[in-house]
Amino acid sequence: MKSVLWAQFSKDKRNPILVLALIMGSILATLFFSGGIQTPTKVVIFSEEDNAEEIEKKWEDRLNVDNAFEFVVTDPDQAREEVRDGNIDVAVQLMEMDYRLLVISELPTVSMVRQHVDKVFQQEAQISSLIDATGDENIRSEIENYLADAPVQIEAQGLDSKEVPSYNMSIQLMFAFTFLISMFLAGFKVNNVTNDKVSGVWNRMILSPINKSSMYIGYILYSFLVTMFQIVVVLIVFKYVMNYELGDNLWTLIIISALFTFSMISIAMLLTGLVKSPEQFYAIYPSIIPLIPLISGAYMMPGTITNKVLLFIGDLFPMAHAMDATMSVIFYDANFNEILMPLLIMLLIGIIAMGIGVNLIERRGGSTATK
Amino acid sequence: MLETINVSKSFKGKKAVQDVNLYLDRGESVGLLGPNGAGKSTTISMISTLIKPTSGEIKLNGVNTVNKPADIRRVLGVVPQELALYQELSAYENLKFFGSIYKLKGKELENSIQHALEIVGLKDRQKDLVKTFSGGMKRRVNIAAALLHKPQILILDEPTVGIDPQSRSHILETVRSLNETDGTTILYTSHYMEEVEQLCDRVYIMDHGEVIAAGSKAELLSILSSEDTIKLELSMIDELFVEKIKKLEGVRKVETASSQLKVIAKKGSNLISELVYLADSHQIQLLNFQTESPSLEDVFLHLTGRTLRD
Repeated sequence: MKSVLWAQFSKDKRNPILVLALIMGSILATLFFSGGIQTPTKVVIFSEEDNAEEIEKKWEDRLNVDNAFEFVVTDPDQAREEVRDGNIDVAVQLMEMDYRLLVISELPTVSMVRQHVDKVFQQEAQISSLIDATGDENIRSEIENYLADAPVQIEAQGLDSKEVPSYNMSIQLMFAFTFLISMFLAGFKVNNVTNDKVSGVWNRMILSPINKSSMYIGYILYSFLVTMFQIVVVLIVFKYVMNYELGDNLWTLIIISALFTFSMISIAMLLTGLVKSPEQFYAIYPSIIPLIPLISGAYMMPGTITNKVLLFIGDLFPMAHAMDATMSVIFYDANFNEILMPLLIMLLIGIIAMGIGVNLIERRGGSTATK
Repeated sequence: MLETINVSKSFKGKKAVQDVNLYLDRGESVGLLGPNGAGKSTTISMISTLIKPTSGEIKLNGVNTVNKPADIRRVLGVVPQELALYQELSAYENLKFFGSIYKLKGKELENSIQHALEIVGLKDRQKDLVKTFSGGMKRRVNIAAALLHKPQILILDEPTVGIDPQSRSHILETVRSLNETDGTTILYTSHYMEEVEQLCDRVYIMDHGEVIAAGSKAELLSILSSEDTIKLELSMIDELFVEKIKKLEGVRKVETASSQLKVIAKKGSNLISELVYLADSHQIQLLNFQTESPSLEDVFLHLTGRTLRD
């Protein structure tokens, strides 16, 4: 087993491009499809009043209170041109106590910016009228301090009395793409069995004292370790470099990924048992794999797929269960016992597929003598 | 040392090998000759325990190995027809892997690797990647991989297919040296007659899954000892001239190829003067002529009615 592992890793050491490319692929696909690194949306502001500079300064400070938006002062002509050219969705024209939004179409960003600007202007109007009525300039800071620790605060709680988590689609997509690409990596590595059978290396091993179970374990362990390396690197990059909120249960996520990897290696082994050549595998496997996240609903909000047949088909693959378990851990802080069922299902899928796969590979050898 | 007794193999009801009987004595070099598809590879796959015979026995020192492959695998080195190597690894790394699956470790492994590399003449290229090697060098690494555990019997399945003459001669020299110097028993399969003639003490000729002749080179050639072959090179070939040759007493077969004529006749027919006379009477100039002793190629042609490369 150690010899098989050593040979497979030595090949990767000579040619690490596939593994590195797939790690980069997971990261780039997540960034591309989930809207990139979490940076605030830039909104340009300007004023054309006589005291434009003073107005811009005043509102720039008050508008920039939310991490979601970054209001930046810009030249009025440039702001209009950028909106007209579609470079930005919205610009805000500021007046002393009023504002106007410059838009060319009603995009989702526009309503979010409108909501935020409107709230800031309304609050400022209330504070200004209080200052006018009382003549006390300190009232602004008093109100701000009071609101920071208001006696009546709204807090939403779930049925289990815990805070209702906010669902983050970017994190779901990150796992969906990481698992998708890990399925490719696992499959390509499992296909080394077929490659070695065709090249004759497998027969050399059969003739040697190494036993067959060691041979299979060598290939499976190698595929598992390479795939897990890819997943763990991606998780670490997103958690510690890109600051994705993956929670504090990284080890639980790694256990889920490990069971997912094992079950996908088994499915790849099953396919290996059905094909005659590595080329056939390369043709069939990449055609099937992209469908698995789709039918498992990995790219959609939970509950989007309601068709019972599709749900049943999705449940036949480990991805639906892996996504279910990871989302439960990240968003609902589920403990190990709460995700035991999806873990066991993945294990079961893995054992069944591996059993059939190895059996098919042995049968395809036909009359090959046993070890 | 090793013998097969009525070994047969069928694939989906179709017989690939039928009732093959052969034996190898210790230290012998035996050739298995036959055209592509003759059943040579299937036979050696059964001997090397990669496939199970449908019927028959394969005995090593009198013990049937069909259901106990471990015994024969220990003493067997197999050089497959395909290049069973990792192209991405160096020659040394390949040998390290193949040695380690034979449970060789540390100094023993290192010594085996260096010895095998020395035998195939690749010691100075051991750190180079196999994919950068020529076809001949790859074939030599392929042989080296089968020598690491110092096998008593070495089976080589067409080890010189598709390589340059220089590498071919190096491989043949290596095999000869393994047999003569190290005393390794050799079973050499090929469809190149001259290789088998050069290397082997005894030859089995296979065709359509059966052994059609067996024996030492001299014994096989004696099949044709009743015939003489005369090759004529002529200025032109006339049909009437050929017909007249066929009617000469003792002539068994006449083959024509462009301006050459091959006449196979009963031994001692003394046809040369008659052939010269016939050519002269047909105003055909006789440019060259030679009498030939039969080769194994002629034996195969005689037995099957076709050449080895048909």
